[in-house]
Amino acid sequence: MEPLIKIDNAHFSYPPEDENTPANEVLKGISLTFEHGELVAVLGHNGSGKSTLAKLLNAVLLPTEGTVTVAGMDTKDEEKLLEIRQHVGMVFQNPDNQIVATIVEEDVAFGLENLGVPSAEMRVRVDQALQAVGMYEYRGHAPHQLSGGQKQRVAIAGIIAMRPDCIVLDEPTAMLDPQGRKEVMRTIKLLNRDYGITVILITHEMDEAAQCDRVIVVDHGTVHLDAPPEQVFSHVQEMRDLGLDVPQATELCYLLREAGYDLPAEILNEQDCVEAITALWQKRLAT
Amino acid sequence: MLKDITLGQYFPLDSVVHRMDARFKIIITMLYLVMLFWGQHVISLIAGFVFLILALICSKIPPKMPVRSIKPILPVLIFTGTLNFFAMKGGTIYWQWKFLSVSSQGIQTSAFMIVRICLLIMGTSLLTYTTSPIALTDAIESLLSPLKKLNMPVHALAMMMTIALRFIPTLIEETDKIMSAQKARGADMESGGLIQRVHALVPILIPLMVSAFRRAEELALAMECRCYHGGEGRTRLRELKSGMRDYIALGITLLLLAAVIVGNILLSRT
Amino acid sequence: MPILEAKNLTYTYSIGTPFEKTAVDHVDLEIGQGEFIGIIGHTGSGKSTLMQMMNGLLKPTEGTVLLDGKDIWEKGADRRAVRFQVGLVFQYPEYQLFEETVYKDIAFGPKNMGLDEQEIDRRVRETAEAVGLREELLQKSPYALSGGQKRRAAIAGVMAMEPRVLILDEPCAGLDPKGRMKILTQLHDYHKRTGCTVMLVSHSMEDVAKYVSKLLVLSHAKVVAFDSPSAVFADGDRLEEMGLALPQVTRIFHALRAKGITVPDEVYTVKYGAEHLLALLREGGGQC
Repeated sequence: MEPLIKIDNAHFSYPPEDENTPANEVLKGISLTFEHGELVAVLGHNGSGKSTLAKLLNAVLLPTEGTVTVAGMDTKDEEKLLEIRQHVGMVFQNPDNQIVATIVEEDVAFGLENLGVPSAEMRVRVDQALQAVGMYEYRGHAPHQLSGGQKQRVAIAGIIAMRPDCIVLDEPTAMLDPQGRKEVMRTIKLLNRDYGITVILITHEMDEAAQCDRVIVVDHGTVHLDAPPEQVFSHVQEMRDLGLDVPQATELCYLLREAGYDLPAEILNEQDCVEAITALWQKRLAT
Repeated sequence: MLKDITLGQYFPLDSVVHRMDARFKIIITMLYLVMLFWGQHVISLIAGFVFLILALICSKIPPKMPVRSIKPILPVLIFTGTLNFFAMKGGTIYWQWKFLSVSSQGIQTSAFMIVRICLLIMGTSLLTYTTSPIALTDAIESLLSPLKKLNMPVHALAMMMTIALRFIPTLIEETDKIMSAQKARGADMESGGLIQRVHALVPILIPLMVSAFRRAEELALAMECRCYHGGEGRTRLRELKSGMRDYIALGITLLLLAAVIVGNILLSRT
Repeated sequence: MPILEAKNLTYTYSIGTPFEKTAVDHVDLEIGQGEFIGIIGHTGSGKSTLMQMMNGLLKPTEGTVLLDGKDIWEKGADRRAVRFQVGLVFQYPEYQLFEETVYKDIAFGPKNMGLDEQEIDRRVRETAEAVGLREELLQKSPYALSGGQKRRAAIAGVMAMEPRVLILDEPCAGLDPKGRMKILTQLHDYHKRTGCTVMLVSHSMEDVAKYVSKLLVLSHAKVVAFDSPSAVFADGDRLEEMGLALPQVTRIFHALRAKGITVPDEVYTVKYGAEHLLALLREGGGQC
């Protein structure tokens, strides 16, 4: 099967402010593929080009060089624009600035209204989407009565009501409190697991990336690493040098390894870390 | 605090009035206004009162809600009421001092006016209590749709109204926050003359504008990503559908209006 | 004498309406001169309301705030002067930048204090340096800066008033790890250099725990803990019950203790934890 999204040697430059300054090249030749059903995190510090990369995925921006293909459609094909955006939905950072309507369910319906979906079918899809993100009870609320995490889940419902193959989330938790972060991550993982939706999560939270199946590290407009999180985070020093971080569990094991203790390098979560250290401790006691 | 201000707050309940076609609700509200302002006879107010009570019962809105909607205009009511009360001369004069007097006509006029304005506010507030802002804008778009033939951007206008309604609470909260933040840096907004006070607004207005533009830009992008491409080929979650109840409600309103008109003609003869 | 004191401090929103809500409920606090305090609590725990009462932006419904032992709401008290002494940096402060240049924006506070040009100039340059803004950025428009720079310029705007207490509400919100580190280390340096009291509101215990000398934990409008980080984290279960996420490393060490390994329970930084663990492994013994 062909990949869902294929990026082939994509470059992107913002036009120069005036004639004297050179064009600002943000992406410098990126090639990536995303398959159906993947759960991918894209990491990178501010200004690494990760948000620009996200915007190439549903034709908000077009590559200045190279191609981006979504389900076989070139994003440069203007006639396919609506279809592409139906395939690849997008959720942004600020929950306030992406909710259009004054009532939750009306907002979830917004995309469907634009696509001309008949009202009876729309009703069903809106209700299903709201149930999927756990916001069905709030369907009659006004957006400003909701918490940040709830607003973000409404925004996600608005995308999945359009039945996309893929959701791109651009730092969806950056403005949320820990509670809201948990809610959003739980929702994202559930959509991926139960509905088979491809999720591309742009983030700078290491523990969020650690929960994905694949982590892409973007730096200075190029793909620096593209591997499962266990491998990516085992490069502790390299991640630091890139202005990123690693989960504390990984860092702790790294420090112990540095001191000469035999611990696996691919530890991401507390549980594995506790087990590894306990095992080490028991070995130490035995000797 | 600023955000305590309620602006045409929607009160979601399940009632006949809530389920009515918003277009009919707007037309009926307009007829109600005509009813209140037709002629100078008390029959207008009686009919209006009957209408309001009927609407209130059917809508299940707690009566204290429309009563509370009068509160913001209370000072205006008291002022104009007092003015009419003392300034009007006519009928029996009960008391007089220089240009001030208390006459039967004065009492009548000011009472008439106060009741009329109260009915006006309560009736229109009932429209916003029972109709979601989205349904309202949809209805306005639909009622104005004949103007599309004259190349009026009716859909764009309705969309603008929706977005404005959506962002009013957000921007009010933001204003609050910016004001506090500038006060924390010693901005003085409470003293000084007019020019100084206008000048003191700069640190609030500029960030507010910048933020509104930023929001607009992000919202436009989000809308585009959700396939927004103008009003063409758009469907709605809630189709505006008129049914029996709408015609019945319109019929009752028209009957009341007719009664007011006929009553006015008959009673003004005697 | 404590520099800042809250006595029986209470704030209730929308009194007499169905939306009535007590955001801060009879809070007593003593903030000592030169302390670096981290304030944690979930959304709606009353953090922001408490902060705004501390510098006189909100008038308490009950109780008082004392600055140097003097009630700031006393008749005739100058609340503007209080705000210069207790500087407050709001969340996303970059949204309040408004002047034509970064220089003028940082100078806004000092100017409101009525200082002379020379003093203003000194303060602007010093604080800009403290937050790592290069000289040539000062004449640029604040809107031309990057996100992290804007944030730091806005923080400098409050620092330039040289408040004796500096309160910051989530100064790292929305920044990447590098940006967060930068602000936290700069605050740490600022605190060490000026000796002024710093109060830092944050959701991220990982970030806060490294720098502060005391932690103030708020839950449901009340103070539930006000102690050193190690003492607060030692009672981790209670924090988790309140819906506050402990640092991952703290949870790891609690789990290790539950398995019978004699590690300390007040670990909240990876470095500290690793040191203890290494020492323990070297000794080999010490088991219970």
